[in-house]
Amino acid sequence: MVLLQLLINGIQTGTIYALTAIGFALIFGSTRIFHFAHGAVFVIAAYMFKFTFGDLGLHWTVATIAAVSAAVAAGLLVNLLIYVPIQRHEGSYFTVFVASFGVVIVVQNAVAIIFGRGFSAIETHLSNAVEIVSGLFVAPLFGIAMVCSVIILTSLHLILTRTHVGIALRALSQNPELVRTFGLSTRGLSTYAFALGSALVVPGAIFTGAASGLTPTIGLHIMLISLVATIAGGVGSNWGAAWIAFSIGISENLVLWRMGPQWSEAVAFAFLLAFMIFRPAGLFGLAAAR
Amino acid sequence: MFVYLLNVGVFICVYAILASTLNVMIGYAGVFSLAHAAFFGIGAYVAAFVAINVSSSLIAVLASSVLTAGVLSLIIALPALRVRDEYFVVVSLAIQILCVTIFSEWKGFTGGLGGIVNIPLPEILWGSVSTPMQFFLLALACLAAITLIIGLIVRGSFGRSLMAVRDNESAALALGKNVALLKTLAAALSSGLAAVAGVVYAYYLSFINVQSFTLDTSVLVMAMVIIGGSGTIFGPIVGAALLTVLPNALSYVSFLPQSEIGSIQQLLYGLAMILMMIFRPGGIVGAGRSKRSGN
Repeated sequence: MVLLQLLINGIQTGTIYALTAIGFALIFGSTRIFHFAHGAVFVIAAYMFKFTFGDLGLHWTVATIAAVSAAVAAGLLVNLLIYVPIQRHEGSYFTVFVASFGVVIVVQNAVAIIFGRGFSAIETHLSNAVEIVSGLFVAPLFGIAMVCSVIILTSLHLILTRTHVGIALRALSQNPELVRTFGLSTRGLSTYAFALGSALVVPGAIFTGAASGLTPTIGLHIMLISLVATIAGGVGSNWGAAWIAFSIGISENLVLWRMGPQWSEAVAFAFLLAFMIFRPAGLFGLAAAR
Repeated sequence: MFVYLLNVGVFICVYAILASTLNVMIGYAGVFSLAHAAFFGIGAYVAAFVAINVSSSLIAVLASSVLTAGVLSLIIALPALRVRDEYFVVVSLAIQILCVTIFSEWKGFTGGLGGIVNIPLPEILWGSVSTPMQFFLLALACLAAITLIIGLIVRGSFGRSLMAVRDNESAALALGKNVALLKTLAAALSSGLAAVAGVVYAYYLSFINVQSFTLDTSVLVMAMVIIGGSGTIFGPIVGAALLTVLPNALSYVSFLPQSEIGSIQQLLYGLAMILMMIFRPGGIVGAGRSKRSGN
């Protein structure tokens, strides 16, 4: 029963990870920008929802819209104000990464100054667990998170396969030169990638806030998971990233069965290290690591 | 007041050693590591272990720490040979997180969160180093020696080969450079010398715990290298001095709330990193434009 409980917790954690990771995979895969600040976008979305829903007491739809707008605005601004100027004079991944890391530090500390460094949870009765079978607790939030994720992932799949922008984005991740030859603007497409990828952090941010609470440093943790997932899943494969993120969430919780919670993060990273050494192209990788 | 200044001086030296050694990886080998604090920690823990259990002679402690860290650097060199650029950043992050978990869980050796206390004073030929002034001189001597070593090495043939690998790995390989060996040696040099900072730090505080060797320290040292100027000899030292003095100076600014000093300091260096990358990627000491080319 304990194992089943851990599995259910794992599925919930895994779903949150998968949604965030697929956003990062989408941005990194199509623009090749090492968008470490994706974690900062996550923090902004989470605290925006907490502020509008928890502190101001607005309706959850309004708060969700606010969180989506904040996330998309943050993603686009980081691209426009930081990545575009850097790429204008130098395209090195290193410069972009350092600047992106700077954004994470700035956002993390600005949030810590405004909202305090401690834990803050989004208060809702939906996160109160109900005992469905003896010894097995499930919160209504779990069901909502599942339904939302299925809807979001299905619509993402439809966007990427049925719309012009989606097809162009997938083309961009496979061959940017060819996209330019067809007369499409790669910069314009990057904007779409950032908007779409940033919007994808919102459900994860809200569910994390309601289920386990927020700290300003949560962005770093979620970012590490997304990175592991994107790279272990194989760059260019969004679903690969989602699957790996999902399995990390499950394994993180299953580890608790036999080991202390302090090992759960280490397990995810040991996993990544093994991957990097034995299979650098990732599980579903399209091309070998450069 | 004078003792306070010496205290700041020792910390500047410790961080300058860390930044200079990380610079070997970032600036010269073009391998971007976020696991530097892990080697700082390995140096400090080995120093504490040897000083307490074997001998407190400075030479013995230095030798064992540097050797251990140098050998363990293979765990970072191995993946660095397999993957490149952004992939390696992620791998080094993973190593850093794994090491912090080990530091806090291997209680028999590291003392866990409680850390190790009562590390004896370092003994050199004519006695032990005890006063703040002596410690400052010791730290300064270590920094000078390391700067000299790195300066000589990067100006020699090894350094030039390393920079060739950084600028264009395929071209270096085509010219017959042993890229794998060069990267492994660079990692061993960088990590081994970073352990010196750990030795000085452990001796000076006579107390160490895992808090000093987390990802935050790695990021701070990275910021020092970047802001000072990667790929230059004195850039990392300038960066280390600047980022060590800044929080101390900020605590004298009366209108800032004391409880938020840490956050404000981090916010400022985060901001500095962003602005540097946009307007002056070469750092304070470096050239206006970084010549590094990504491929």
